[in-house]
Amino acid sequence: MATPPAPPQPSMDMNANSKHMNPLPASVFTLPQTAQLEALFTIIRDKDTARGDFLFYSDRIIRLLVEEGLNHLPVIQRTVVTPTGASYDGVGFEGKICGVSILRAGEAMEAGLREVCRSVRIGKILIQRDEETALPKLFYSKFPNDIASRYVLLLDPMLATGGSAIKAVEVLMEHDVPEERIIFINLISSPEGLRKFSDKFPKLKIITGWIDEGLNEKAYIIPGLGDFGERRYCE
Amino acid sequence: MESRLRAMKEDLAAPISSRRSSFMAWEAKKNTVLVSHGRPPWYGEDGQRLTDAFVIGIAGGSGSGKTHVARQIVSALGNIPSIVVLSQDSFYKRHTPEEIELAFASLFDFDHPDSIDMPLFAQCLSDLKQCKQTNVPVYSFAEHQRLDETKYLYGASVIIAEGIMALQDPALRSLYDLKIFVQCDSDLMLARRLSRDVKERGRDVEGILGQYLRYVKPSYDNFVHPTSAHADIIVPGMNNTVAIELITTHVKRQMEGRAHHFRQKLATPRIHLPAVAAKFEDFKLDVLKMTPQLQGIFTIIRDANTSKQDFIFFVDRLSTILVEHAMAHLPYEPATVMTPIGTLAHGSAVDAKNVCGVLIQRSGGALERGFRRVLNDVPVGSLLVQSDSSSGEPLMLQVKLPTYVRNRNTAKDTFVFLLDAQIGTGAAAFMAIRILLDHGVPQDHIIFVCFLVARDGGVLVIRRAFPGVKIVCAAVDDNMEEGWLDDPNSEALGRKFWLMQPGMGQIGDRYYL
Repeated sequence: MATPPAPPQPSMDMNANSKHMNPLPASVFTLPQTAQLEALFTIIRDKDTARGDFLFYSDRIIRLLVEEGLNHLPVIQRTVVTPTGASYDGVGFEGKICGVSILRAGEAMEAGLREVCRSVRIGKILIQRDEETALPKLFYSKFPNDIASRYVLLLDPMLATGGSAIKAVEVLMEHDVPEERIIFINLISSPEGLRKFSDKFPKLKIITGWIDEGLNEKAYIIPGLGDFGERRYCE
Repeated sequence: MESRLRAMKEDLAAPISSRRSSFMAWEAKKNTVLVSHGRPPWYGEDGQRLTDAFVIGIAGGSGSGKTHVARQIVSALGNIPSIVVLSQDSFYKRHTPEEIELAFASLFDFDHPDSIDMPLFAQCLSDLKQCKQTNVPVYSFAEHQRLDETKYLYGASVIIAEGIMALQDPALRSLYDLKIFVQCDSDLMLARRLSRDVKERGRDVEGILGQYLRYVKPSYDNFVHPTSAHADIIVPGMNNTVAIELITTHVKRQMEGRAHHFRQKLATPRIHLPAVAAKFEDFKLDVLKMTPQLQGIFTIIRDANTSKQDFIFFVDRLSTILVEHAMAHLPYEPATVMTPIGTLAHGSAVDAKNVCGVLIQRSGGALERGFRRVLNDVPVGSLLVQSDSSSGEPLMLQVKLPTYVRNRNTAKDTFVFLLDAQIGTGAAAFMAIRILLDHGVPQDHIIFVCFLVARDGGVLVIRRAFPGVKIVCAAVDDNMEEGWLDDPNSEALGRKFWLMQPGMGQIGDRYYL
């Protein structure tokens, strides 16, 4: 009788993740590549988007990413009684989590994380390129004391070369967080960065919003959205 | 007309006691809660309008007492908000600067039928009669000009159109269910006119008299009085209480007959469902994919022991996920933008002229924060629909719609996210959808977003009546059970209602109280 609900409209073919990386490494998960998600990315990619809109729409994507990331955490059976007196066989959340943001752009994802996980503990890492060696170097880190017993959501909005993300994971592992208990969440990745990162940490799950074409000569993601931290905080 | 007169004669002939009881039901009540004033369903199970609004046309000379008669009818009908009085004065045509000059010199003939925008008058009346919204022009007597703004009207079950030319135009006459002519002596009309125009419209006596002799009197003799031949009943311009009681008795009888027609049918739609029909695939619902997190959220918000704080937090989180998912039902078009590093990005953008939200109070408000996290810069309207404590049928108490929807020209291009916590009996949802359709919002532009749908509840009736409406929900519950609700605000002991199982309890109470 009725028309079925419209399926989500797919994104444009040229943007499909499989176009830029096929097959995906087993540890990489992307959000559904729908027109509605593509529309959010289109807004934050646009250089003419005002800062207020950039904040609002990047927050929407970050919430979706965090929700997706949390689905990779374990749950246990739990039965409750509803206000109507019926019993409901559900699940309870299991295991403590904490967020770790890679300064400074990663901090932009904390608000979105806290909207989904109330009063979650958040650690910070500052990694910068060492001017002498041109390698990423740890400048600062501050974690909850019991981080080794928690699941860690590692936050960095852009995965370009993967250098600082890899360094961040190494720091976490030095603090006794097992690789398989880290979930790396980012908005946009380059195929190069994803490959390098997932080759190095095959048990670490990566949740990414979109996989772009690649890197340019300055190691910016193409088409990307420029410098996330700059746009979020400075412009 | 024959039958109407007969009905009136029967009214008179009926024994006093029965007249009294039918009168009481509609009598103006003081100090009662607004509930008794709501509008019951005006549509059937198939979603189609069952009956037109009842339209009364009142004509008569200027100062004959048309407005008084209209007010008396309104107050005798109980002063309920679903009565509207439409004045011919609103429909004076837009004037040229020259005409305005003449008008200020009292040299413009406002009493000629041509000064009235009859097609627009008929259009507005016809919209209201068909239970649609209308945008009535606003005329300023101070400026002698139609203003740019319009007045939005919707939801009247009785409409009274009054004006000297109310019975003039055949198109108008064909819309009336009852035509009244108010008959009055000329000297009395002139006296009233003088007094009113000086007091209310700021004119001077000389101007008024000149205008009267030049335009008003000839117009009355040539145009107004002859239309009394079209009237069903002629009412004297003074000492007319008997005539007004006659009219209101007739209208009440008509209204009761109409109301009777559909009572009982919609309050609990599932009772009227053929048992075989409830196949889940027929619902065409867009249900969120169950994930561990979603199940965890549901476990918390379904739990009777969850704290208020947690309930609100997880309901907000769920509504955010749900509205993000519902965004898939908007249309998208390709869009290309320039990124800050100078490359082109080919993406997409929402392809909808207007987007807005409408929440069904009170429990629909539980989705508002989630909605705002996704769409922060769109208007959000609200509808208050309550079920009547005695009959159980839904009553429309308040309609506050975004301006996009109020105006028919923009309503047809507007996508509306209709928000409610659940579809149980579906009575409120059904009414809300009908309201949007009355405003000219296309079915496939309505995206109904809710947490829960009862598998054997009213969703199937909604689906059958409105196949194009999109329904997005987070979960489907298995059944509904009859419950009893003690309502401290009601004089009645309580009322029957349907509880979803396992459900989330009274979502509005848990979120707000």
